[in-house]
Amino acid sequence: MGPPKKITKKDSKAAGSSKFEKRRRPEDEAYAQLVDDDGPTTESDIPASAIKNAERNDEGIQEDEYGAKDYRSQMELKIDHSSRPLWVAPNGHIFLESFSPVYKHAHDFLIAISEPVCRPEHIHEYKLTPYSLYAAVSVGLQTNDIIEYLKRLSKTTIPQGIIEFIQLCTLSYGKVKLVLKHNKYFVESPHPEVLQKLLKDPVVQNCRLRPKDENGEDGFITSVQDKSKPALFGAKAATTTTGASETGDKVDGDGIVTTIVPEDITNFYEKIDNEDEEEEANLKTVSFEVNQEKIETLQKRCVEIEYPLLAEYDFRNDSVNPDINIDLKPAAVLRPYQEKSLRKMFGNGRARSGVIVLPCGAGKSLVGVTACCTVRKRALVLCNSGVSVEQWKQQFKMWSTADDSMICRFTSEAKDKPMGCGILVTTYSMITHTQKRSWEAEQTMRWLQEQEWGIMVLDEVHTIPAKMFRRVLTLVQSHCKLGLTATLLREDDKIADLNFLIGPKLYEANWLELEKKGYIAKVQCAEVWCPMSPEFYHEYLITKTSKKMLLYVMNPSKVRNTQFLIKYHEKRGDKTIVFSDNVFALKHYALKLNKPYIYGPTSQNERIQILQNFKFNPKVNTIFVSKVADTSFDLPEANVLIQISSHGGSRRQEAQRLGRILRAKKGAIAEEYNAFFYTLVSQDTMEMNYARKRQRFLVNQGYSYKVITHLSGLDSDNDLLYKTREEQGHLLQQVLAASDIDCEDEKVPGEGGVVRPGGSKRTGGISSMSGGDDAVYYEFKRKNAHNVHPLFKKFRG
Amino acid sequence: MAEKDTKSLKSILQKPVKLECKDLYEYLKTRSADVLERLYDYPTICLAVYRELPEIARQFVIRILFVEQPVPQAVIASWSSQIYVKEHTAATAILGDLGVWRSAAIPGGLPAWELSATFKRNLKIALLGGGRPWTMVNVLDTDSKARDIAFLDNYAMSRWRCVLHYMVGGATKGPDGETISPDAVRILLNANLMKRDENDGGPVITRQGFQFLLLDTQAQVWHFMLQYLDTCEQRGMSLPECLSMMFQLSFSTLGRDYSSEGLSNTLLSFLQHLREFGLVYQRKRKAGRFYPTRLALNITNKNSVAISDDDTQHDKGHIVVETNYRVYAYTDSSLQVALLGLFTELLYRFPNLVVGVLTRDSVRQALRGGITADQIISYLEQHAHPNMLLHEHSIKSKSPLPPTVVDQIKLWENERNRFTFTEGVAYNQFLSQSDFITLRDYAQSINVLIWQNERNRTMVVTKNGHDDVKKFWKRYQKGGS
Amino acid sequence: MVNLLKGVLVECDPAMKQFLLHLDETLALGRKFIFHDLDDTHLFISPDIVEVLQAKFDDMMDQISFPLHEKSN
Repeated sequence: MGPPKKITKKDSKAAGSSKFEKRRRPEDEAYAQLVDDDGPTTESDIPASAIKNAERNDEGIQEDEYGAKDYRSQMELKIDHSSRPLWVAPNGHIFLESFSPVYKHAHDFLIAISEPVCRPEHIHEYKLTPYSLYAAVSVGLQTNDIIEYLKRLSKTTIPQGIIEFIQLCTLSYGKVKLVLKHNKYFVESPHPEVLQKLLKDPVVQNCRLRPKDENGEDGFITSVQDKSKPALFGAKAATTTTGASETGDKVDGDGIVTTIVPEDITNFYEKIDNEDEEEEANLKTVSFEVNQEKIETLQKRCVEIEYPLLAEYDFRNDSVNPDINIDLKPAAVLRPYQEKSLRKMFGNGRARSGVIVLPCGAGKSLVGVTACCTVRKRALVLCNSGVSVEQWKQQFKMWSTADDSMICRFTSEAKDKPMGCGILVTTYSMITHTQKRSWEAEQTMRWLQEQEWGIMVLDEVHTIPAKMFRRVLTLVQSHCKLGLTATLLREDDKIADLNFLIGPKLYEANWLELEKKGYIAKVQCAEVWCPMSPEFYHEYLITKTSKKMLLYVMNPSKVRNTQFLIKYHEKRGDKTIVFSDNVFALKHYALKLNKPYIYGPTSQNERIQILQNFKFNPKVNTIFVSKVADTSFDLPEANVLIQISSHGGSRRQEAQRLGRILRAKKGAIAEEYNAFFYTLVSQDTMEMNYARKRQRFLVNQGYSYKVITHLSGLDSDNDLLYKTREEQGHLLQQVLAASDIDCEDEKVPGEGGVVRPGGSKRTGGISSMSGGDDAVYYEFKRKNAHNVHPLFKKFRG
Repeated sequence: MAEKDTKSLKSILQKPVKLECKDLYEYLKTRSADVLERLYDYPTICLAVYRELPEIARQFVIRILFVEQPVPQAVIASWSSQIYVKEHTAATAILGDLGVWRSAAIPGGLPAWELSATFKRNLKIALLGGGRPWTMVNVLDTDSKARDIAFLDNYAMSRWRCVLHYMVGGATKGPDGETISPDAVRILLNANLMKRDENDGGPVITRQGFQFLLLDTQAQVWHFMLQYLDTCEQRGMSLPECLSMMFQLSFSTLGRDYSSEGLSNTLLSFLQHLREFGLVYQRKRKAGRFYPTRLALNITNKNSVAISDDDTQHDKGHIVVETNYRVYAYTDSSLQVALLGLFTELLYRFPNLVVGVLTRDSVRQALRGGITADQIISYLEQHAHPNMLLHEHSIKSKSPLPPTVVDQIKLWENERNRFTFTEGVAYNQFLSQSDFITLRDYAQSINVLIWQNERNRTMVVTKNGHDDVKKFWKRYQKGGS
Repeated sequence: MVNLLKGVLVECDPAMKQFLLHLDETLALGRKFIFHDLDDTHLFISPDIVEVLQAKFDDMMDQISFPLHEKSN
């Protein structure tokens, strides 16, 4: 989304939150401070080539008479095209047939080199971006392999522009690594010429730590890497399936070849799939040591000169930091996609930094725990609320051999003794806030900063402002960083920063596939249309203020629909959570329907009580929650979710809320839907627009929203509220009498700028669909104009 | 009101023109008794009509075919059980509509049915032989360059596509640089499938034309040929002769060649038209022999085997529709791309794939063009990629398309129908309740009342009904006062 | 005596009727155009406004719909 986000929010925020002041926890405070000044990324954080964009490569291409980009002259169809699975467009978009016999081969490859754009049932769209190629390089793929395999998979020849684009984006990436060995930092590369080039740069030179007795010309340390075994996860021996056996579906029971896979594809797939393990086996590398204090400068400089340093941690050879005694319990069995994501991280026997993207409910924490158990060095887990801290501790105890004595929580509520612990779990804001800390907390903080952490797990990375990250990273030293998230989506398009602050995206799961295999619940999404009552619509049309929003949220027919759905699902024995971003509506609905509700000011005790009741009391099957439930506490399991006011238009929030009901019922591959996600929208109002906007991400993951224009049985139900015009009129009076603050959404700490209803909807609309890098591109186009990379210039056209 | 306003008002007030597709029965029903009688002079037509009759009607015809006098209606009614009285009535009506039989009185005044003498005579010939030969003559010597069925199928479809392509592409030439004859253009214009552009006079596609394009091939050919027959007489050709030939072709054998020897001049020029549209293949105009194609064979056959040439094989399910409104069509046929482009926003074209998306704008544009949501949906269903059929939704809902997409297309259509406008005249300020009630009841009785409220004595009648109501009111006032 | 008026009968749902009333009240189309407010779902309006009205309605629907797909460039 575009920049007009930092409207003078400060005043209204101060007014709106003053009454909650007392209950604020310090972590919340820190959030509030950081959110506001999360300014635009400075250009030095991102290598220039990363701003390049293949999107515009097809600008010169003719459109046909229907306005479609006509690529037919750009490529030739191969004779055996039907047995190859994909097309590559000159603008970097790739279309993959999910029903192709070689889908599996292609899918693994594409996920490594490109970003998924949409993955519905039959044909998936991916997009090559500089970041995705950077990620590909960092997991060990080479420029020529990428091009060669893409050529083989494609039904047509590959446009020359794409080949150049791949070369441009990968040639300088991934050539140099920053390695922490024996507690010394080394810049390492298999290419001596690259290191020489780097050292010609005075800044880099200045960061180099030269042994005193070394006077040689280059003085690189040469080493031949040991044949390293791939990492094994879990207590059991490797369940790792090899590439060869995964493609074993070529022959059916009768020994008849059922699918024809061109040999060049299978051969290459095996090569690519095993690459991780073999590639480094006898690799000769050169390196030079660098000054630990100048790491930050060095990283920055390398980014500027387009040799971003990949961070890898050779934890097996780290003899300085003590091992912690932690292993996975035998009961912890990784699902195939969890294992796959970890293989990307530990592929070459070292730990790579990066981000793993898995849907909510798909077992992110097990991945985090397993990573910690693999590294077996002190681990720091950062999450975004006190409740999550408790949860992570639970997860560690559930999956690993760690006990209470090893796990230390560091929050405003729980301050365990940190000394001697192996795992420290805390929140981002506990680390970064600048207020005065208690003596105790101050001690812990100091200890924490003194440690050299083996691994840092960053939970829900997409929710954290980049600025806050930087604070964390300067305060805490760790050898490798693992980011976990459900959606690499931010309405402010700052996600690009994560690539260089944490590392590339290592893996991203396909929602629909997990659903099919029964790893996550099968959800029926529905958009329920509630016609505006004439009186409400009349007011809606004449109102110009934020009251407009309250009018469509409080639309009597919406109340009736909500009540009807709640009744319906209570009868089925379901557990229902109702979300309302607007507090006025939340209270009104909850009180009218006689259900418990939680919002910002609800005390901790009351929250726990309500949640416990919801979990265990068979009489409490429906609760109402405000936006605080999105981040500030862990919602118990439910299988129905109803949104009554959700006009923020945030794709991430929508995905995250869906995640609340994704935890699959144990072992069941759902025939029919086993969870329900309703969004209620008032017809003919802007709410329709917001709802669709929010759905984009999930729709591109293959979810479809059924539009329900009329709930059958609603009219014949005489027990519903606001049946008569009189009652509706009374409600309208209440709404009209509501104050301005009532009309606003609840302000939740840690939330970026809220797109206000009525704000211009088209701002940044174009970029938001394509993942938003266009916006970044535009932003930098002007700034960088004076020092353009020669190739970069070419790609501008 | 300016003239332009009147016109645009009309376009809003009138529901979009639906393409009227008649089957053989509906077509013949609208012919005059005289024309029917002339048609039944041809055994082929009698046989074709007989074949298309409902089963009960066929029973009736065959049972009284050799009865040389009218048969009492009561006797015929006794042939079918009371349970099937509805079918019986329908069959009776159809036979009457088509002039196959007519009512007659037998001595004693009992109502009876009597077959048309012409129909009777010629159906006997068709079924039993005799009279002059009515089938087409096979060529005696074998064709040195005989054509096989695959060739004929390809030929037929490529000719037929030429016509379709002309419609979407306007005056531009088809893929092979072929175009269609002025006669064919005239038929399209006459059939309202195309009309002359107001500015340059060139033919442009109409709303009905769009709908026509979305029909399946067999329905298209049939509709087109009926329109052709409508213009037959204008060009001095005999309708019965042409129709008869059309049916002869439909009874012929695919892959066989027939002789054009002895055909009348009318039929020879008809043959040339059929050749242009792909219903018959002839190597040369004067070849002396021709091959009927599947297009001709299928013309009246309800359970026909759809034609499958190289293109249609491809065509058999080339469209993938995704839940996110993406549309992927495996095709490079400019016709198929043009059809898809009627309601899809096309994004990219690869050598064998078109990528597009169904958007609110693109669908609304089609709706404005007169295409209905159902037509879009049925087109997508007809051409759905085989993989779409495997999906669980399609097994449940019997449609290969994602339910959300189907719903959404319909919702977009509904959105355009939120208002109903009806031109009318409002009557109010009645002096008495009884005046109001009298006038209202009158309007109601002649079916022109569209709204009324007794309490405030207001009523609205249709524009057309207004004159009658006004006259009634004047009479009433005179009588009353 | 009886009063006659030529026009167009509009039938729509209650919310859309409010929309038309709103256009009428605010002179959004430049003038008043509703002759009679008949009931919750019916209005009797000036015949020459129909086209503009339809266009205004389309505008409104355009505003509240959100394109699920936008061309990426």
